[in-house]
This record gives sequence, C-alpha cells and structure tokens, in this order.
Amino acid sequence: MNYLSAKTPPVREERLGAGIAFGGTCREVQCARAGGCLNLAARTFSQTQGCQFTLSQAIINTLRNAVIIMHGPIGCGASSIGAVGTSQTFKRLRDPNAEGLIWLNSNLDEADVIGGGEGKLKEAIRFAERMFRPETILIPVSCVPALIGDDVDAVVAEMQEETAAALVPVHCSGFKTKVMATAYDDVYHGILRALVKKPERRADRRVVPDELEEVRRRYRDSRTVNVLNVSSMSRPDETELTRLLNALDLQVRFLPCYSDAEDFQYALESALNVSICGTHDDYFLHHLQTLYDIPFLIDTIPIGRKNTARWLRKIAAHFDLSQEADRLIASEEQALDEALAPFRPALRGKTAFLGGGEVRILATAEILQDLGMKIVGFKGHHYDEFAEPVFESLDDVDDVLFNVATQQPFEQINLVKRLRPDLYVGHSGGGNISAKQGLPLLPLFGPSYNYMGFSGVFEVARRIRRILANAQFNKQLARHCPLPYRDSWYAQDPFSYIKAEG
Amino acid sequence: MSKFVDRPRFTCALGGALFTLRALPRTIPIIHASAGCGYNVFSAGSAGAGYLGGGYCGGTSWSSSNVVEREIVFGGQDRLSEQIRSTLDLMDGDLYVVITGCMVEMIGDDVQAVAEAFADEAAPVVAIPTPSFKGNSYEGYDMVLSGLFQRFTRPAAARRDTVNLLGLVPGQDAFYKGNLTEIKRLLTRLGLRVHTFFGEDETLRDLQGAAEAAHTLVLSDVYGVKSAQTLKALHGIPHTVLPLPVGAAQTSGFLRAAADALGVARPVAEAVIQSEETRYYDYLERLADIYNDVDLQRYVVVAGDANYAPAVSRFLADELGWLPALTVVTDFLDEAQTRAIERRFDAWESGLKPLVRFDTDTSSLERYIREAWPPSANERYYDSLSPTVLVGTVFERDLAARFGWPLLTVSFPVTNRVVLQQAYAGYNGGLTLTSDLLTLLVSGR
Repeated sequence: MNYLSAKTPPVREERLGAGIAFGGTCREVQCARAGGCLNLAARTFSQTQGCQFTLSQAIINTLRNAVIIMHGPIGCGASSIGAVGTSQTFKRLRDPNAEGLIWLNSNLDEADVIGGGEGKLKEAIRFAERMFRPETILIPVSCVPALIGDDVDAVVAEMQEETAAALVPVHCSGFKTKVMATAYDDVYHGILRALVKKPERRADRRVVPDELEEVRRRYRDSRTVNVLNVSSMSRPDETELTRLLNALDLQVRFLPCYSDAEDFQYALESALNVSICGTHDDYFLHHLQTLYDIPFLIDTIPIGRKNTARWLRKIAAHFDLSQEADRLIASEEQALDEALAPFRPALRGKTAFLGGGEVRILATAEILQDLGMKIVGFKGHHYDEFAEPVFESLDDVDDVLFNVATQQPFEQINLVKRLRPDLYVGHSGGGNISAKQGLPLLPLFGPSYNYMGFSGVFEVARRIRRILANAQFNKQLARHCPLPYRDSWYAQDPFSYIKAEG
Repeated sequence: MSKFVDRPRFTCALGGALFTLRALPRTIPIIHASAGCGYNVFSAGSAGAGYLGGGYCGGTSWSSSNVVEREIVFGGQDRLSEQIRSTLDLMDGDLYVVITGCMVEMIGDDVQAVAEAFADEAAPVVAIPTPSFKGNSYEGYDMVLSGLFQRFTRPAAARRDTVNLLGLVPGQDAFYKGNLTEIKRLLTRLGLRVHTFFGEDETLRDLQGAAEAAHTLVLSDVYGVKSAQTLKALHGIPHTVLPLPVGAAQTSGFLRAAADALGVARPVAEAVIQSEETRYYDYLERLADIYNDVDLQRYVVVAGDANYAPAVSRFLADELGWLPALTVVTDFLDEAQTRAIERRFDAWESGLKPLVRFDTDTSSLERYIREAWPPSANERYYDSLSPTVLVGTVFERDLAARFGWPLLTVSFPVTNRVVLQQAYAGYNGGLTLTSDLLTLLVSGR
C-alpha cells in the first residue's frame, strides 16, 4: 500500500467498503460484507455523529510537544475543550513535564470564505512557532478551507522553510466521508509524510564504525515490537501489555498516542509492528511495511482472555516463541480463573447490549461471555473486515442482533427497549440515553481504566459487579426525565429509516 | 479583519444556537450541516459549561442532516426536507428549529423555503441560518433568538408589568440558569412579570409572548443587544442595557435602574433593596472575623467574557475589598462594545482600577501580568504581586499552577467544576462567589 503521493488518503467507503447503516444479525452482517452489499446504505433520519475532523483530534490531541492549528471557522476543533484536562494528565503519565493541550483556530470568517484562508493560516503558524517553540505543528483542515480551495500543502511547503517545528497537515474535512474512522488514515497520512524518517544518530556519522555497538543495536531491534496504541486505551492497559510481552523477553514501544515527534523515527528500529485495533492503524502499518520493510500483525484486539491469548500467540510465533507463549498463557489463565471465581455468581445469566467501535464491542463481549453473561445485541459504529477475527472469540452469536450505526441513539433506544438488557456497555456520548432508560452502563472504554490483557478481564468483571450493584442514579433519572422520541417510534421496526442508496 | 485565536473561549454560531435551543423547553433543533458539527459543539459546550449535557434531546440525539460531498455538489435541500419530515415523525417537541452549518450556507441552500413547506404541521417548523463563519457562539445566541422573535413570537398588546430579560447566553454562561432565576426572583419582588425564556418553570409560551413586554432589559453590553433591537423593530418594545449585576452594590443599582425603566415606584424598589441587603449582610457578617483575623485580602487577576470580567472585577474591588491588578476581556468586540466595557471600570467606589486589556488569546495573559506588575529583577526587597487569586476559565489552570495562585473558574470554559443551580448574579450570586473564593483560601485549614 502506498497512497503517500496523493494529498489525502482514499475514504474508507472506497478503500475498505466500510458500511455505516445496517440492521440484522451477526451472521447477516458478515454475509452482507462478504457480498459487498453493506456500504451503499444511508438513513432518511440521522443524528449528529462526529466527523473525521473531530475524530482526528483523538490522536492529534495526545502528541507531546506539539501545537495544533485547527484550520477552519471558529468552532472547528472546539471539542478539544472537553479534553484540556485529560490530555495533560495522560501526557504527564508518559512525561511528567509535558505541557497541556495547546491549539489555535485560524478563525476563517466571511471575508476568508471569499478571499481564501491561507494568509490567516500563515499568521497562525508564525505565532505558534514564536510563542510556543513546539517540535511539531499539526494542521487539521476542516470543511470550509477544503471547499474554498486553500492549498494547505503549498502553504506548509512555503512556511516549513522558516519554521523549526515540523509542519504536519492533516486533511480531514468532515464532509468527505460518512465513515469517520477515515480520520485515522488522515492523521497517519500526515505523520507518514512529515515525521516518519530514519533517525540520524551521531554514532552513524563515525569515520570508524563501532561494530560491537552495531551488533548490539541490531539484536535489540530484533527483539523490539511497536505496539500501536489507541487514545481510548489507558496507561494501565499499556502496563499490562508490556508485562506480558516482557515475559516473552520482548521490548515494547508504544505509539502513536502520547508520542513526541522523534518517537516516529526510532519506531523504525523494530522487528514487528503490532496492531491493537485494525480500525485504527491498518493504513499506517501497511505503509511502514511498503516503505521500510517492517512486517506487521493485524489480527485481534487484546481484550478478553481468548483475544489476548490469540494476540500473544501471533506475536510469539513471529519470534519463534510459541512454547514460551503457551506456558505464559496457561499460568495467566489459571491465576485469572481463581481471581474471577468470586465474581461469577453475581454476573452469571445477566444480559448485555454493547455499542461502539466494531472491534471493541465484539472483544468486550468475549469478557462478558467469559463471566457467564448473555449478549443480546451489538451496535457497531461501522462495519468492515477488521471485525471478523474478533468474531471467532465469541460463542453462539450468529443470531444475535447486529446494528451498524455511528452513534444514532434513536435506533439504539428502540432496540434496547425490545431487548431489555441488564447492562448497556457503550461508547461515550450515549450515557444520556441509557440513563433515561434507567439502565446501568459500563463505559466501553476509558483512558484511566484497565480493559486489556488478563488483568483487564478482572478489572471489567470487578466494575460490572460494582455498577450492577446499584443503578439508582439512572433509575431515578428515568422516572423523572422523559426521552425525546414519540411513543409510536417504539412500535416501529428499529431499522425503518435505513435506505439503500449511494 | 479578524485573526486566529489561541484557545478560543467560545465555540461557533452553530454551537451558540444549539445551546440556546437546548435551553428552551421541548424544542427540537434540526441541524443542517456536516455530520460532525453538532457532536463537536456538544462536546465543547457541555464540558465547557460545567457538564451541562444535551438536555431533553441529549447531544447525540440532535437531529442532523449529515450532508456529505454529494449534497455539497448537488445541493442539500432535498436531504433537509427528508430530515425535517422524519424528525417530525420521530421526535416529540413543540417547536422545531432548523439551524445551519457553514457548508450548506456556502452552497446557498434556501432553508427558509424548505421549512415553509412544513407550515401546516401541528408544531411550528422555523429555519434560522447560523453560519459559523459569520460569528461565534455569542453571536449564535443572537442569531437564533432574533430569528425566533421574528418567526415564532406573536404580536400582542403590551402589558405594563411585563419585562423581557436578555443577555445571559445559555451554555456560554455556565451559570445562566441560576443567574436567570436570581434576577427573575428580584424583578418579581418589584411586582413584575418576567420572560427570561430559558429560566425555571418557563415554557415556550414565554417566548411566544415576548411581545407582551413593555420593556426589555439586556444584562450585557454585548450579548442580546441585537435580539432586543429585533424586538424593538418588530414590536416597538424599548430596551435598556445594564451590566450583569454581581453582589449587593451592583444588584441594588440594577434594581433602581430596572424600576425606573419599568415605571416601578422608587419606594417599592427601595423596600426590596433594603430587605435584600439586610439578608445579604446577615450572611456576610459571618466572615467579619476570619477575613480580618487571618487577612483574606488578595490581589486578583481576572480573565473572562464581556459580562463576567467587569462585573466580577468590580465586585472584588468594591465589596470584597480585594485589589484587581489586571482584567482581560476575552471576547471579540467592536470599537463601540470595547468602549462600553471600558466604561464599566470607571468610577468604582473603591477608587481602584485594574489594567484592562482586550485579547482573545489565552497565552497573552502572562504578558499582561508583566505589564500590570513590574516583574522581579532579583532585587533584595521585591514588592511582588502576592498573595493573588486568579478568577478566569479552565485555560488559566497552567498559569495559576506556575504562579502558585488559587484559581476559581467562572467564565467559559469551566470543565473543572460541576455546575447545577448555582448563580453568580444578584445578591445570592455575590454570596456564592464570596463563598467559592474564600473556600479556596481556607481549604487547607
């Protein structure tokens, strides 16, 4: 794969045939994808859902020693207001001296809509450089400059000559795609073009090379894996995955989240790139293989014991460590079984509905099944090939409902009313809806909690028992706060507003 | 010409419009825009207003046409029409308001025409363009409110005892609802009927009946003025601009001005003021010991919007006896607005006046602190700007930490607090502000 000569990556509707509107069962959604008939669907009623610009912030906001210039009208990128505290806190888990989240908005107004916004962007770049002296200036480009034809790449090429910070344009105009996960490709596209390059070490410039040092380095690189983290995972998740990979005598480096610019150079010194979630990083990993010949592994996400074991075994096989991995997994499983035993009685037989990213909901369902819970439905933000390996970890879900919808709480609410789960496991933004249905809710992810690896299974079990132990807050709300949908909606087919079209 | 902004303390016109509609009872917004616009400003506006949430609809439930490239090329009116139809079928409201994002405005969709086709529906459907390249969230409030006065408010005979209250922007003022409750409580004591439109116990009838008012009070030199002008143009209602009152002195002044504007007899107003001040100082008296025993006087640096920055600074100087060194007003203002705000810093009873600066960039505050107070040159004896309290937004957190100053967040964004019914306006607001500030100082005791 190499799209780097293009200004922007292809959208995922085209590259992956990803779909955003579907209602059926798990078996049907897999068949529909295989038959190629998933991605030409839309809705006659829709709700605001995020776009590739807002989602690109998920990675961009984590980068250290960086300033972001939201190139667009004054509201674009405002969602970062919700991240000012968390971004700083989580950056400081990696670097205690990390700065907070700093962004500018180029504030395109009516005059710029007519005259172009390139001048304001240049001013903003100069200000960012002078005021903050960052290593990196990221420039996400919103809808308006794309439509008025600002040549951001040309501005960047011109300004790079007078700017010490690396300038990284990210072409993520919201109106270009219905699949907001295209955001990840946009961010990686920018990172690949501007930040990824072989590191230049002083040692490399020696007249007489130090051969012993060279051998050492090659050995170290041959035992180093990059794990492609996602902003929805936590430092405790990273600690757990590091523990497991260290146990196989492998060194671990996490990127891109919470990295600084240099990390993208040293990341090239590794034996394998390991995906946490194909939805996030397949574009990046394919390119690193094409351009730098680094093999990669995209399979399942290490959430749930089966998925974690499968993830570890695939990595171990690459390094010929399969037996070591088997021994590690056996001992981990035994310890986990003992730890879970006290939680099982409270959770056995409880039902759950899961909503959020396709990979994550399926993997989290594995934990729930492990605990004896029953899955009654899924709602995935979109659907594409990356869900398929995760399905293999689940038992008996062929006839379980699967709804493909990016947010779209109106479909969720209708489904939940029919299926009456004991627990909703959901993506952020939907709490309001579940609360007014009186349902206890486990967040699908949370950057301060552990969900991954073997310890993640225990943590999720512990939290579900806690959350189910008292749902009074949501119950009381449900009694007093009405939902905004007409009663007639609940009698209708939940998928009545999905239509087939381009 | 406008410029870039370093960490804007506001969102866009669409954001202001959405949180204004969110504050109206049983009102369903229909966003005609790209798929991310609504979610973006919801994430910003909810967290920034102390976790205001999406209200009756819920942010992620906001109806949105989610236009993509095809509509941008071929026009989005058909898609909007389809979305209005389905929203009416699905969502249960008493008023449906179409508002717009940048893209559909740039391609020239005629949203009025689309909305007019729904004139026979049981509930009104109105369309109000809110392009964000024409303004920020404060202006979005005026766009949507002016539009509603134009398209939803009905002509009516004026009632002498009825007043409209404007100028507190839902969401941009995290404390808008508590503030409206307090001001309305006081005006009611003057014997008035008050439409705040967004306050407790109000319904869409208040908005529909805005033309019954004999007068409009705008509690802001900047926000709500255009909406008041719309009311004047359409229904001949005069308006008076007054500053947001915080604390006893400002609020008593406000009540006198309101009484005069509305023809309430002065003795009536004085009796209310007398009873409110007695109650106020009954509480404040509690602090007479601790304030003086341990010296709770502070220097203060204030950063905030055009409503809070002058009002809070003046309260701190004239009532709490503190020393405002610097006040930065963080909005985009035109020359007339800037002059109006500057005048709010004149003739304080304390005789004090902070350095006043107008700047939208977050990083500028530190520069102005050096301007307001000479920095240390390593003198043996240095008269430092200390002890100091910073009253601002959450964007001041790093600065406060670096200087070791306690921070109270009052102005948007306020992500480090949970705001419910609290108010900073009026007599009760002065008590709450005093309590919040002095709590910072005694929290280690």
